[in-house]
Order: sequence, then C-alpha cells, then structure tokens
Amino acid sequence: MTDDDRKSFFSTRVEESIDALYGVAVRLVGRGSEAEDLVAETVARAWSAFDSLQDRARFRPWIFRILHNCFISDYRKRSVRPVETPYVEEPDSDDLGTFLNQQPDDFLVWWSNPERAFFNGLLAEQLQSAVDALPDAFRTTVILVNVEGFTYDEAAEVLGVPAGTVRSRMKRGRTLLQKALWEQAKSAGFSAAEEQ
Amino acid sequence: MSDINDDNHPQHDIGCLQAIEAFYAYLDGELDDPESIAGFEHHLSHCRSCFSRTEMEQALTARIRTSVRRESPALLRARVRRLIDKF
Repeated sequence: MTDDDRKSFFSTRVEESIDALYGVAVRLVGRGSEAEDLVAETVARAWSAFDSLQDRARFRPWIFRILHNCFISDYRKRSVRPVETPYVEEPDSDDLGTFLNQQPDDFLVWWSNPERAFFNGLLAEQLQSAVDALPDAFRTTVILVNVEGFTYDEAAEVLGVPAGTVRSRMKRGRTLLQKALWEQAKSAGFSAAEEQ
Repeated sequence: MSDINDDNHPQHDIGCLQAIEAFYAYLDGELDDPESIAGFEHHLSHCRSCFSRTEMEQALTARIRTSVRRESPALLRARVRRLIDKF
C-alpha cells in the first residue's frame, strides 16, 4: 500500500466514523469545543499509530479505543461533566437482571396501559438526560452497543475489558435507564408507577 | 413474572427463565446460534409477558438511538479534513 493509499484509506474511514466519534465524545466530555478537541486529537493520535493497526477491518473499534484512551488520559479530569461517585463494578450474575425483569408485572401493566403514552411522549432531551446520568462505564457501553451498533466483542476491545464485562454493564446500564424513566413516570403522576 | 414455565407452554418451549437468559443477547444481536434464536422467538410467539418485555426494550433502544445519535458539526469535519491533509 502506497502512502497515498494509506492516507486515502485513513481519511475515508475517519469520515465514515466522524459522527459516531463526535457522538461518543459528547457523551464523554459534554457538548462544545472539548468534544471537538477530543475527536481531533483522536484523529491525530490514530494517524501516528496507524502502522500498528494490523487488521484494517478492525479500524472502527481501533479508533474508538484511541478516543476512549485519550479521554481517560487527558480529558476526564477536566471534563465539564459533574464529578461522579465511582461506581463499583459488580460481577455478571443472575441477579443483574434489569429493573424490568426484577419488577416485570407492575412495569408491564404500566407498559400495556394508556400510560404507555408517557413512553411514546418522552422527549429526546429526557432520554438524553437519562443516558447522561449513567455512570461513565455504563454510559459509554450503552452508547457503543445500543447507539453505535458495536458488538460486545468490539465494545470490549474499545473499552479494554472482557466481553463478559460489556454484557454485565449492558444489563446494569439498562436497569439504571429504566429506573430513571420509571421515576419520570412517577413524577408525571402515572398511576401504575405511583403504586410502586 | 406472571407465567414462568406455566402449563400453557408446550414441552419444547424454553420457558421464561431461559428466555430471560437469552433476552439481551437476542436484542443486541449477540445470539448467533440459529437454534437458540428459533427457541427464543418460539417462546415469544406465545408468551405475552416476554413478548411485551421484548417489544418495550426494542422500542426503548430505538428511541435512545434516535435521541442520542448526533451529526458532527461542519466546523469539526472541516477541521479534521485540514488535519488529515497535513499528514
């Protein structure tokens, strides 16, 4: 591969991923110039390390891993996001079912009744704020898998954790999201939620 | 769970407990064994509770995806293009 070919490949792959890179950056550091700086720095670092990418089919998880490492090493401390209480990672186990699985019947009453309109009427801002309220590890995992369509293996590669950890974070992240939406339902006065 | 392994499920049905085990792998496209997929989908075809749960999770995931996904600013795209041009 010539230098021009390398650069062309790199440029095309970055262009394909830039919306997703920016989307993840925003969820990591908040909106504004910090997120743009994080993406630009990721691209610069990726080019410097491009020769280390053995399997070019793995470009996407590879550059997201660089973004994540860049965030951890340089951006997390000065992020505009509020400092959060460290979340203790729990082992993957049967008791890590989602809120939905733990309290299925009441939730499903809520889901199957006219209160379902609450869910359908959720504003994008409400969903974004529920996602943003997740602890870092769960927020990033949920975004990589649910929003950007990474497989568990790819997300594990990005985050530098075992695939089993991605699986357990997805369960826990979903539980926390559902609880947040449940609380919103209660605040909005929906009867099935109020009975909890 | 209203109907875990109830009598209405045929004998070959995986039952709610096993369905819950497979639930998120299925939703996240991580259930790649055709037999497991068929077993899960068969369970959904006659278990209202698990069907509703799946439907709700799929709807929630789709809403999150459309609400959270965003386009990068034109200024950032131009900045990155200039950066790559200098490489």
